Amino acid sequence: MSIPSVDGGEVRVFAQYERDLHEQADVVVVGSGPCGAVIAKELACAGQRVVLLEEGPPFTPDDFALDGAHSMARTMREGGLRATRGYVMPTLQAICLGGGSLVNSAICVRPPDFVFDAWCSEFELERTTGKDLAPHFDAVAAFLGVAPTPENVQGRRNLLFRDGCDALGVPSEPIARNVKGCRGSGECFTGCRSRAKQSMDLTYVPAAIRAGARVLTSVQVQQVHAEGSRVRGVSGQVVEPFTGRRSHRIRVDAKAVVLSAGCMATPVLLQKSGNLANRSGQVGRNLQFHPGVMVTGVFPDPVHPEFGATQSYQSLHFLQEGFKLETFWAPPTALALRMPGMGPTLKQRLAELPRSATWDAILSCHRSLGTVRARGGASLDPLLRWHFHPEDVRLIGRAMSVLAEIFFAAGAEKVIPGVHGLPDELYSREEARVLGTRSWKATDVTTGSTHVFCTTRMHGDPARGVVDELGRCHDFDNLYIADTGVFPRCTSVNPMLTGMALAHRTAQSLR
Amino acid sequence: MLIWILLGAGLGYAGARVLLGYPPAHGFRILARREVAFLTAAADAIYPDGAGLPSGPEARVAERLDAYLEIVPARMRRLMRLLFFLVEHATAVFPAPAPRGRRRFSSLSAEQRTAALDAWRTSRLFPRRLVFASLRALLTNAYVADPGVLRGLGLTPWAIDTPVCEADLLYPPIGQLPAAIRHAATSPPSDGTPLDPAAPRHPAYAEARP
Repeated sequence: MSIPSVDGGEVRVFAQYERDLHEQADVVVVGSGPCGAVIAKELACAGQRVVLLEEGPPFTPDDFALDGAHSMARTMREGGLRATRGYVMPTLQAICLGGGSLVNSAICVRPPDFVFDAWCSEFELERTTGKDLAPHFDAVAAFLGVAPTPENVQGRRNLLFRDGCDALGVPSEPIARNVKGCRGSGECFTGCRSRAKQSMDLTYVPAAIRAGARVLTSVQVQQVHAEGSRVRGVSGQVVEPFTGRRSHRIRVDAKAVVLSAGCMATPVLLQKSGNLANRSGQVGRNLQFHPGVMVTGVFPDPVHPEFGATQSYQSLHFLQEGFKLETFWAPPTALALRMPGMGPTLKQRLAELPRSATWDAILSCHRSLGTVRARGGASLDPLLRWHFHPEDVRLIGRAMSVLAEIFFAAGAEKVIPGVHGLPDELYSREEARVLGTRSWKATDVTTGSTHVFCTTRMHGDPARGVVDELGRCHDFDNLYIADTGVFPRCTSVNPMLTGMALAHRTAQSLR
Repeated sequence: MLIWILLGAGLGYAGARVLLGYPPAHGFRILARREVAFLTAAADAIYPDGAGLPSGPEARVAERLDAYLEIVPARMRRLMRLLFFLVEHATAVFPAPAPRGRRRFSSLSAEQRTAALDAWRTSRLFPRRLVFASLRALLTNAYVADPGVLRGLGLTPWAIDTPVCEADLLYPPIGQLPAAIRHAATSPPSDGTPLDPAAPRHPAYAEARP
């Protein structure tokens, strides 16, 4: 049976597994998302024998589903229907080669220095300032061709945001993204058919393969094997795409293990492996999100919202206050969920979608904490529990109120806030002020979040954190974690680039 | 003895309420006919005829949900079916307006269904609103996925010529062997020419020819 190979490396897909496998490697990387892919490529390029394990399959353009719900069911864990308990909030984790980068909107933002300063001062870190990390940000941004979204693919939906911000004197800017040749199809969330998005499956993973890495897809890692202060490797099983049916056993022995399974999966894997790396008691704790809230504005003229980069304008002006503003587009199935009401009113609102734009705020909720726990039995799906802190709830109203103001400044005839207890539609800035002045309950509004952090946090004190500044577990000599779980606190901005920069640093320490 | 008679009668009524009197439904792989009846009724209440868009039943919401349920994980499928059951029979506890407002949801009149769902939507109790939001989300996903609805909204996907990149020479379509990789060489990447809103749309969303 032929295995596709590029200069020594290879990728193996589900249909190729015929028997149990036992592999040897210098480094085994679990998870091919943005962080794992960086580690695999950097170490393979340094001449190490790398095995990269990914539970999901590679998606080709023929495998993309244009319909939002079907796409989510195929590319996301738990069919895209994962939610927290406590405060019920939908959250997502991808299951595909390239991880979330296949189905995110390619936003690459460097956090401002005050974020890293807080990390250093509050978590006893000495080498994690913005200046320390700058070379790593530069390296990954250069490799991916990160650049601000050009004007000609912004589309009116994004430019209206700029216009509204300009009218209010609020600074805004085009979003930098890992995209080359964007045509403005707005299909980032279902897979870029223009092959313009530089997702990991198109960039870092092929580069790793070129450098000799072996990429085994459809492999679910179930156990990390440890002996004393060292780990020996990982084991798991081949799983069929979409059904999750398990078959052949896989074991990879390695000199070092890097867990990049994601902030919600890595702690579960450690817990299922006998509560590994948890002398601090912090594995699975400190769960943080950037909850997102949205406001829709309806304009008098057509917006043609289907054209334009998915998310390509932002304002970082309110970061210190605790939220970031950005434009938004998603498959119409997902956008329609925002429309309140039912019956003829709902249909009328749907008919207004072509005149609508939706913008969102991501909230920096570092006071709102939760946990990730393993479920019983063989399931590796996490049990997530999370609560909104009252101080963070106040951010919801403030952020929505600012978004409404920007909409009216941009010429919207009405905004649709989607808040329980308020009118479905607000027709002026005066009416919209209620968003900022009312007494809020977290359950008044539906939030969602794909930015998840801190469940295996970095801390200078081994008694208070799981990994050190280089991502190495305090409890083991050769076990590393490289995903957003190592963030000691949420980043206030979209986290992909930060995760990749930290992974780049971890990879350099492993070379 | 009376207790046993009452218990038997209660169980009989419950069984009849849950199982009997539903119209047949053909061609469904996951949904039972009672679920099809419920979803069709709920889709009609949430997406009635009008506004220049198809109604929920015209958009084949139940059929689309059947296809969707087939691909979601079993645990989620069970939760969704529990949701359908809950709303179908919650009228026993939260009745729709008279007359006979305690009948199962799919047996109510159109006005009663609207009133029953509206009570979930506007409830002071967050769990009730959450139930409505979950149901409406599933129905909306199925409704807006309909090509006729998307055409009506002018939001059908574009026809896009996909360039062949290095990765396309590495990965076969899901479930297939590498021999199924249909490209032998890369093609020029996207040059970043913006799509024209008036450009042709994806053929799968074109209006069916008579």
